[in-house]
Amino acid sequence: MATAPLIERDFLEKLERMTIRWRKSFQGLVGGHNRSRFPGAGQEFFDHRHFHHGDDLRAVNWRAYLRLEKLFLKLFQVEPRVPVRLLLDTSESMATGASSKFDYARRLAAALCYIGLVRLDSIVVHPFAASLGDPFLSTGGRHRLAPTVEFLSQLSPGGRTSYLNVSKEFITRYAQRGVAIVLSDFLDDAGCERPLQYLADFGHELLLLQVWAEEDREPPWEGELELVDAETGARLEMAFGPAARENYVRSFDAFSRSLQELAARTGGRYVGLPTSMPIEEAVFGPLVRMKAIE
Amino acid sequence: MFFLNFSLAEFAAFFGAVSAVTVALYLLDRSRRRQVVATLRFWAASDRPPEMRRRKKIQQPWSLLLQLAGMLLLLVALGQLRWGSPERATRDHVLILDTSAWMAARTAGGTLLDEAKRDAAAYLRAVPAKDRVMLVRADALATPATRFESSRKTVEEALRASRAGASALNIEQALDFARQVQRLEGRLAGEVVFVGAGRISESESPSLAAIPNLRVLPTAAVPENCGLRKIGLRRTPDDPLRWEILVTVRNYGTRPRTLPVGLYFGNAVIGSAMVPLKPGEERSAAFSYRTKAGGWLEARIEAEDALAEDNRAVLELPAPRLLRVLVYSAEPDLLRPLFAGNPLVEAVYRPPAAFDPAARADIFVLDRFSPPAAPEGGTVWIEPPLASSPVRVRSVTKNVRLTRWTSEHELGAGLHSQGLRLDEAEVYSAAPGDIAVAECETGPIILARPGRFKTVVFGFHPVRSPLRYELTTPLVFANVLRWMEPGIFRRWELSGGSAGTVTLALDKAVPQEEIRVVTDHDRPLPFTVQGNVVRFFAGAPQTVRVNTREHEYVYSLTLPEVAEAVWEPPRQAKRGIPPAAAGGPASRDIWQALALAGALVLVIEWLLFGRGRFGSARLRLFPWRTAETGAPARRKAS
Repeated sequence: MATAPLIERDFLEKLERMTIRWRKSFQGLVGGHNRSRFPGAGQEFFDHRHFHHGDDLRAVNWRAYLRLEKLFLKLFQVEPRVPVRLLLDTSESMATGASSKFDYARRLAAALCYIGLVRLDSIVVHPFAASLGDPFLSTGGRHRLAPTVEFLSQLSPGGRTSYLNVSKEFITRYAQRGVAIVLSDFLDDAGCERPLQYLADFGHELLLLQVWAEEDREPPWEGELELVDAETGARLEMAFGPAARENYVRSFDAFSRSLQELAARTGGRYVGLPTSMPIEEAVFGPLVRMKAIE
Repeated sequence: MFFLNFSLAEFAAFFGAVSAVTVALYLLDRSRRRQVVATLRFWAASDRPPEMRRRKKIQQPWSLLLQLAGMLLLLVALGQLRWGSPERATRDHVLILDTSAWMAARTAGGTLLDEAKRDAAAYLRAVPAKDRVMLVRADALATPATRFESSRKTVEEALRASRAGASALNIEQALDFARQVQRLEGRLAGEVVFVGAGRISESESPSLAAIPNLRVLPTAAVPENCGLRKIGLRRTPDDPLRWEILVTVRNYGTRPRTLPVGLYFGNAVIGSAMVPLKPGEERSAAFSYRTKAGGWLEARIEAEDALAEDNRAVLELPAPRLLRVLVYSAEPDLLRPLFAGNPLVEAVYRPPAAFDPAARADIFVLDRFSPPAAPEGGTVWIEPPLASSPVRVRSVTKNVRLTRWTSEHELGAGLHSQGLRLDEAEVYSAAPGDIAVAECETGPIILARPGRFKTVVFGFHPVRSPLRYELTTPLVFANVLRWMEPGIFRRWELSGGSAGTVTLALDKAVPQEEIRVVTDHDRPLPFTVQGNVVRFFAGAPQTVRVNTREHEYVYSLTLPEVAEAVWEPPRQAKRGIPPAAAGGPASRDIWQALALAGALVLVIEWLLFGRGRFGSARLRLFPWRTAETGAPARRKAS
């Protein structure tokens, strides 16, 4: 039986004009999306200067030499090459709910990768749960989307989440600071705020994309419930009613607020995305408004 | 206040069952459900209120009580609770008027039916004005004369128009019908009132113990009556012109009588007998009469009694029809014995030279002779000339041995003789559809061909051959004549009897497709066949013919069906005309209000407690609720 495509062609066409944005300037890199003040290897013309011995002869402006009989060297603008890393939560909790958060996150990840591919950026996709999984480098232009989609399609949810382990491994593996896009429900019993703070303190710019199912935020059930944690298998028996639901929603919103505050405090950004919101609306709505892409 | 549909015990049982189901569903709905969730951290935070910590079987007692109250109100509405006294409720009565044949019996004040009508009218005056009454005329069938009417005038008109029928009363069917119409009407059932003499068949034993609302208004007079029960006629087997007549009479009264029974044909007395009868006794008188003519046969009881309709019966005797056989033979004396033995056959012998193509006969016999033109009728060819044989001759064989008779066909029925030898015989080639009646080793030597004019060809002369000394020869000819003209040889019986259900026992079982039951207007009548017994019902006096292949039974059902026994009503049945009902306000239906109240209570319960149970459905139905309330983070993010 043929499965539905992860991302539709019409949607891809709309993503052609988008770019992933970041705010920080990273040490040793020409960062951000401001025009670079430094000449170097690039595609776009920047300036001329006099030729000095040892310069690359290929950059000599030979037309100017024929006219003026002087050697001028063409200078090019340095392209920004800030590393973009996408952390995709593949823990068991992403598979709960009537509409799968995991599928939603995969589709969003594919959309972001395509945006990066169009702009000739390289995005490293890292699945994670209890630890960091094997990375996949999405690069090479828009025609290289298929391997990325295939990689995302082959992922399956499972395991517990450990943000602490993931943060440690991430910092150890990538000394070069960059943009860290975290696509997750951020549900870790040990807490995700502190590990995320570590990442930010290390110098990464955080883009936190919180995905939740409707029943994650406002459970529809009522009465006597026996609740089982999808990741730990822990059980809780309780009577759930309107008052308890109110408390639940309040707790969930407080958690979302804490993630938002963390992002704001560290110079990053936060976007909350319910799975009921279509991907297209999520990309062109909250993500654009937060200037995560434009 | 009282229930129209339920008794109190039935209501209690229903409510108990509904309550049990409701409580069970309630507990099931609120039983602990297992749910896999992404995390328990928010659940643990929500589990704060102390009243939610303890698991209770009934968490929402008001919800359960409202559900039970709703069910109670709906059930009460279903039971059609009425406001007022049951005695004041309008009821539906069924008035069964006996219109059986016996009700035509004369009494001092008219007929029994007149007396019953007076009783029925008195009952109508006695029932409350708002009650509705249905009049049912009951004889062998229960026929409603009116619907449930509150207009007494309509019922009285139907009462006046009622006439005595021809069949006997079927009391069980009438009472069943009354109970059913009361049940189907769905209102408060009143009385089932039977008015009449209640004479039923001796074979009928109604089981009426379970009619609590039965009232009987019996007719007081018990008239003396004797009557004809049935007349049976049939031709004697040895003389087709002689009729055997059997007249059966019965004494329905309480005194012994000696009945003068007279038999008339064409208004001339052909027989009479004095039949002594004890009360309830039935006897038959046998007569015999020979006639060639057709006409009307009348049996008569020469005495006056209460019911004149069963004192006289008239039947039509048909003139016997003979089979006309025209034999063209040069040696008629050879063939004469074959036809002379059958009284139904009228054979005429002529030489071949006198052949007349315009001559009329049922069957032509051509003895070693081929006419210039084929005769207009069934033909028996005996040794036809080879050149003009109606069937192709394959060969002429000498010293033929007859090997086989087609005894499964009626032409060979009863023929089993084997090894007969013939000096010479023509052997024929059978065409498709031909019947080989007798065969030798090389082919058929007697062949029959069906068609508009049936044909039988003998390849040898049955009387000039050694076969003349065999019993086979007359049997073959008898079979041939019966096959060619079955109507003439059909056995014929005539019965005079009464309308109603007729049971006829045939000599042997006959397939249903071979039986026809028709009225004198040739209209088919429904019938059933069980083994060799045929049953049909004639609701009105008429003549009914039952035809099989070999028999014809004619029923002249002109006598009224007078039942022999008197029905004994159950002891608990009320008798006589009730006292006139006092006027007063009738009870009122309140089930509509109760049904509305029940629905309202259930809607309130759902609004208060039920909506939350469908949270997921609501989320899907109203997605904007999530968009508005679901993401404080999103609001801030935007």
